[in-house]
Amino acid sequence: MNAKTNLARGASPADTLIWNFKHLGQHELNGFGGLGEGINLQLAPDGRRILWVAHESAPKNFTGIDVGDPRNMKVVVQTELPHKDVRSNSLDVVGNTLCVAYQTTNVGMKPAGIELYDISVPEKPKLISHFDRSGPYSRGVHALWFVDGEYVHMSSGAADFQPRDARDDQCYMIVDVRNPSKPVEAGRWWAPGTREGDADPSPRRIEGGCEVGVNGFRAHNTNVFPERPDRAYVGYLDYGALILDISDKSAPKVISRWTNCPPNTGFTHTALPLFSRGLMLVTDETIHDNAIDWPKLVWVLDIRVESSPLCIGTLPMPPFDTFAKRGGRFGAHNLHENHPTPTAWRSDNIVIGSFFNGGVRAYDLSNPYQPQEIAYFVPGAPKMSRAGAIQFNDVFVDDRGVVFAIDRFAGGVYALEMNF
Amino acid sequence: MAVSSGGRDLLRSRIPLTVITGFLGSGKTTLLNALLARPEAANTAVIINEYGEVGVDHDLVQNITESVTLLDNGCVCCVLRGDLEQALRDMFLARRSGEMASFERVILETTGLADPAPVMQTISIDPSLAEHYRLDGVITLVDGVQGAAQLATDAIAVKQAAVADRLVITKSDLADQATLDKLMQELKAINPIARIAVALNGEIEPAFLLSVGLDRSKIEQEAVERWLGAAQTQEHGPHDHAHDIVTFTLWFDQPFKRASFERAIELLTSLRGADLLRVKGLVDVEDEAGPVVIQGVQHLFHPPVTLAAWPGADRRSRLVFITRGIQRETVANLFAAISALN
Repeated sequence: MNAKTNLARGASPADTLIWNFKHLGQHELNGFGGLGEGINLQLAPDGRRILWVAHESAPKNFTGIDVGDPRNMKVVVQTELPHKDVRSNSLDVVGNTLCVAYQTTNVGMKPAGIELYDISVPEKPKLISHFDRSGPYSRGVHALWFVDGEYVHMSSGAADFQPRDARDDQCYMIVDVRNPSKPVEAGRWWAPGTREGDADPSPRRIEGGCEVGVNGFRAHNTNVFPERPDRAYVGYLDYGALILDISDKSAPKVISRWTNCPPNTGFTHTALPLFSRGLMLVTDETIHDNAIDWPKLVWVLDIRVESSPLCIGTLPMPPFDTFAKRGGRFGAHNLHENHPTPTAWRSDNIVIGSFFNGGVRAYDLSNPYQPQEIAYFVPGAPKMSRAGAIQFNDVFVDDRGVVFAIDRFAGGVYALEMNF
Repeated sequence: MAVSSGGRDLLRSRIPLTVITGFLGSGKTTLLNALLARPEAANTAVIINEYGEVGVDHDLVQNITESVTLLDNGCVCCVLRGDLEQALRDMFLARRSGEMASFERVILETTGLADPAPVMQTISIDPSLAEHYRLDGVITLVDGVQGAAQLATDAIAVKQAAVADRLVITKSDLADQATLDKLMQELKAINPIARIAVALNGEIEPAFLLSVGLDRSKIEQEAVERWLGAAQTQEHGPHDHAHDIVTFTLWFDQPFKRASFERAIELLTSLRGADLLRVKGLVDVEDEAGPVVIQGVQHLFHPPVTLAAWPGADRRSRLVFITRGIQRETVANLFAAISALN
């Protein structure tokens, strides 16, 4: 063609790429801006909006931020972990109760489990209880889901849970916290053949030249919604995505399982149902820098017949050439999970996800066979980030439509407005 | 902010495209330079169409903006229209990959010879372009000294003026007041709904040129007036006898069945599309919560977008027509007949 372009500007990790989001503010959390994948919002008794975030690693535990004015966010509390070999990573908020996950570096260490806090006074979180999940084979809890004030759904080890392979140490566990002072386990499920003593053979295998189970057969996100309180939507790393019948919490049963591993490299992270659409989104998590485990995608599944999930597509990913070597990880990870709580935004048509150095991206699923990217925000590299690029780990959208995205290493919290 | 809408705002999420046109020597590059120097026009990508083997104008603009795409060696309305589509696609991809700055609007400067209609249609033709861009407005520049003569002798100059959302008279310092007054009257006859301003040395308020169209689905009455101009208060436009341009607004008291409206437009475009220079307006369609935005240029209409709500108490459909020789009564009767039959 005759068109001549003068687009000499290169795609540097220092550049901000933005479309249909408006950047309202950022808070680096007093130099501790490395955040995990726990993020939720409390409407405090005094009317303040407190965003609670879990840190990626020690020394910080969790931080509460007043986000009433997203352009001027303020830290109201930041707590410490007892030692460097434990991380909190995940949390959720229901009313004025905060639930935090604790995972240790190695098995046999403490604290490993969950804690419930009364955050009626956000500046002074008050410990209600510690539910210990430590043990000789357990690293504790990696991720949790707590939205009804009654049950915590989580990926957890336990003192009595001995995996055949150390990589399979966290099962899906349900904890009854109706008496928050005395949590009790209500049930658990694990991939057949992964626990010592199972009658089933181990699911580890070589198939088509691919080794299945390299990343482990472990639970990750374990979501349950009021639309279907008898169902758990579970990402189980290399075992894939599961829909479980939990009508009897003491004995969850598999309704269906879908996996892309092999031929892909697994690490199924999230299974997010969009009930009014008969759809389910399944995310992979990329866990290596420079996209060596590419492709890590968000998959669109038709679950109108829940026993027979059908993959009908994937969300269009950002350009590989631009991001693969931009720094750190590039690929899918978390989604805004339509938390069924009053402080969260919900949509079955628009989905917003975090893609590490690919930024935060929004998609229109009006036509599920042809999802469209409708917005993105890729800020320049945060100061002091060891990845040299943004590494968005998780995203949450509050009931006002304000999008909060958190960086894995240094950038802290970014607040965005949706312009779509 | 699209709070809890569950859906997206199809106007707000698209990048506005402004077309600057005007006959040869009307001062488009001068105006563009002055506009780009203003902070209100920050983050603008520019496409310049030049006719000739060697582009010149883009060198003048490049000094103040780095995002310039040049379409040369042909006119964008005819031989280079495919290039324009490709350029808009490439620019979006370059923006997405960071090879181009995150521009927030695009301004296209056409050659003086360009028929603006095909250019305006460009983003309606390709669904992928329509997903990413929306036509914000057409700015037509008219030379204060030569304008009247050009309008008298050149059909393209008339069409450029007729389809404009904004008319800007340039080189006013070189023309006497009587000439300017006469030109103003002629422009009002050709296009009674466009707002007209006089620029001095290319300077004009950016707000007059940018944000002309509907830029979100939740709008105020003021936005409708800004977009539809005098059509809001005017039942009949004057008939420009010299050029056979007819401008009028139709109002409809009753909501349309979707099928009736679509059939009326289909019939109109199939029979007289070439003479339907521009159609724009808001339509009350049964079972829609808000008005449906209609924009058409000759045979092609943009994909309709439904607004979140009516901006004021008046929920009557209103359609502005700029035609070549099609009278108000003809179109009104067509709509009446189809509505009666359907």
